[in-house]
Amino acid sequence: MQVVIGQYIPSNSWVHRLDPRTKLIGLLLLIISTFLIKELLTMLGLLLVVLVFFASSKIPLSRFFRGIAPLLFLLTFTVVFQLLLNRQGTLLYETTSYFGWLQLLGVVLIIIGYQLIKRMTRFRFFLFMLSLVAIFYVFQIEGPSSWTTFTIQVFEGGITFALFLVTRIVILISLSSLLTLTTKPTDLNNGLEEVMKPFKKLRVPTNEIAMMIAIALRFIPTLLDEANKIMKAQSSRGVDFTEGTLRQKVTQIISLLIPMFIISFKRADDLANAMEARGYAPGRERSKYVKFKLHVADYIVLFFTIAWIPGVITLGL
Amino acid sequence: MAITFQQVGYQYPQLSHQKWAITEIDLLIEPTKEFVTVVGHTGSGKSTLVQHMNALLTPTKGRLKVFEYDVAKGKPLSPIRKKVGMVFQFPEYQLFEETVERDIMFGPLNFGVSKEKAKAKAAEVMQIVGLDKSLLGRSPFSLSGGQMRRVAIAGILAMEPDILILDEPTVGLDPAGQEEMMKLFLSLHEEYHKTLIIVTHDMNVVAQYAKRVLVMKEGRLVFDGSPQSLFEDYNRLTEFQLGRPDISYVIDSLCQLLGVEAPSHIVTLEDAVNYLMESN
Repeated sequence: MQVVIGQYIPSNSWVHRLDPRTKLIGLLLLIISTFLIKELLTMLGLLLVVLVFFASSKIPLSRFFRGIAPLLFLLTFTVVFQLLLNRQGTLLYETTSYFGWLQLLGVVLIIIGYQLIKRMTRFRFFLFMLSLVAIFYVFQIEGPSSWTTFTIQVFEGGITFALFLVTRIVILISLSSLLTLTTKPTDLNNGLEEVMKPFKKLRVPTNEIAMMIAIALRFIPTLLDEANKIMKAQSSRGVDFTEGTLRQKVTQIISLLIPMFIISFKRADDLANAMEARGYAPGRERSKYVKFKLHVADYIVLFFTIAWIPGVITLGL
Repeated sequence: MAITFQQVGYQYPQLSHQKWAITEIDLLIEPTKEFVTVVGHTGSGKSTLVQHMNALLTPTKGRLKVFEYDVAKGKPLSPIRKKVGMVFQFPEYQLFEETVERDIMFGPLNFGVSKEKAKAKAAEVMQIVGLDKSLLGRSPFSLSGGQMRRVAIAGILAMEPDILILDEPTVGLDPAGQEEMMKLFLSLHEEYHKTLIIVTHDMNVVAQYAKRVLVMKEGRLVFDGSPQSLFEDYNRLTEFQLGRPDISYVIDSLCQLLGVEAPSHIVTLEDAVNYLMESN
């Protein structure tokens, strides 16, 4: 069992060296700005900037695509719905489609075929696109007994808006993965604690939240290790975690979960004692081991990201 | 032969660097009446080795046969686990059922034993591990640590394995508990003629109980022989970074005090008593 916790890739680029607070605030501001931008061109410009960030961070571009891959299906649906339903601007394409027994059968066959082949291929998304195109063509066939006909219309607004949405989602994903790829989980957590400081005035227990996140991050690998051991122990007792009926699956999961709960509670207990023995008291002021310091690059990034939002609003871009 | 390793090697798939966890292992283990201990430094491949015997890992290289079954990817591995029982470190953590009885029955039921038979078996193994039958209806989590460990071991014994593998079974028990636990294993070996394979760091256990000792070092099987011959060979002991049984250090100091040359063959209390009686 292998699970990668945190995606941090060590390197020494300027993006890595940025203060985690700068990165967090910058990320937040740029995300807000994507919802304020009105023009497609501005959005594409922002995407270009994000890509430049990515390239200069020495993170392999494959990681960029890996971040987007899980969202390809969502993106496809966004595009398809925008193309079919958006009716703004000039009409660009029109075609008559038919719906009948033939189409119903065709769609079912394509879905079954997709389900069968998808396990065998690594290019699942390509297959998915192919199926969509196939479905589109199935609707173009005039069958002997079509129940109804309808027209598919694609307007200019559909295309622009689809592109707009896709760009926005890609920007959101790549920005946040850029953050996690270039910042150590502990730094990220410490940065978060600092950024949340103003909320302390509102009695939000920011230090405790940060401590909880730190502990959770620290214990994920440990617990995975324990889970692995328990799974092996139960396998020795004849549990086959790879298969089984629903009923057996339930027993399998229980035989893993209950020991995991007991181990977690025990660990939590031990940890609480260890922390107390070292003088940790919730709510009390703690000095910091790592002191963050803003550098020139931080001020530049902060300046531009903060100036970016009023710029977008006033210029109406 | 019950377990046959032929040039077996294993690489953990997660680790990107090409390091063999175990390599070039040749080993034969009899189906009954063997008492084997496996020793070696942390990370020497002891656990990887014994997990192969239970088919929890399948060799990357070489051939491994456990009874009539080949241990390889895609082969049925479940029958092997019925024949070779494995007790992990801190086995009490694998308990999860509502009652002790149901937890012991869990293994046999997984291997297709009928409910009645499993129930009878549960009562039987409780006796073997030295627990009172009145505990059968209790929740396993209400028992003491030592009792929980016995229940976990009972759960494996209930599957009636021919070979029993134990990964550091005495860790975390007090000295009295450790000795009781070892006595239990000795009785399994002597009365029920099971082959025992025990992974341990405790040289006293090796000297006192084992008939055969395997030493792992950096993934290789570097020694396979009797404890006596291992402990007499000081050079190799240093090479393997292993200690000697406590009693041999006692005799050493004693001989030094008396100004006589220390004998190297003393590894158990019995040896020591005999030696002292003879020389006096």
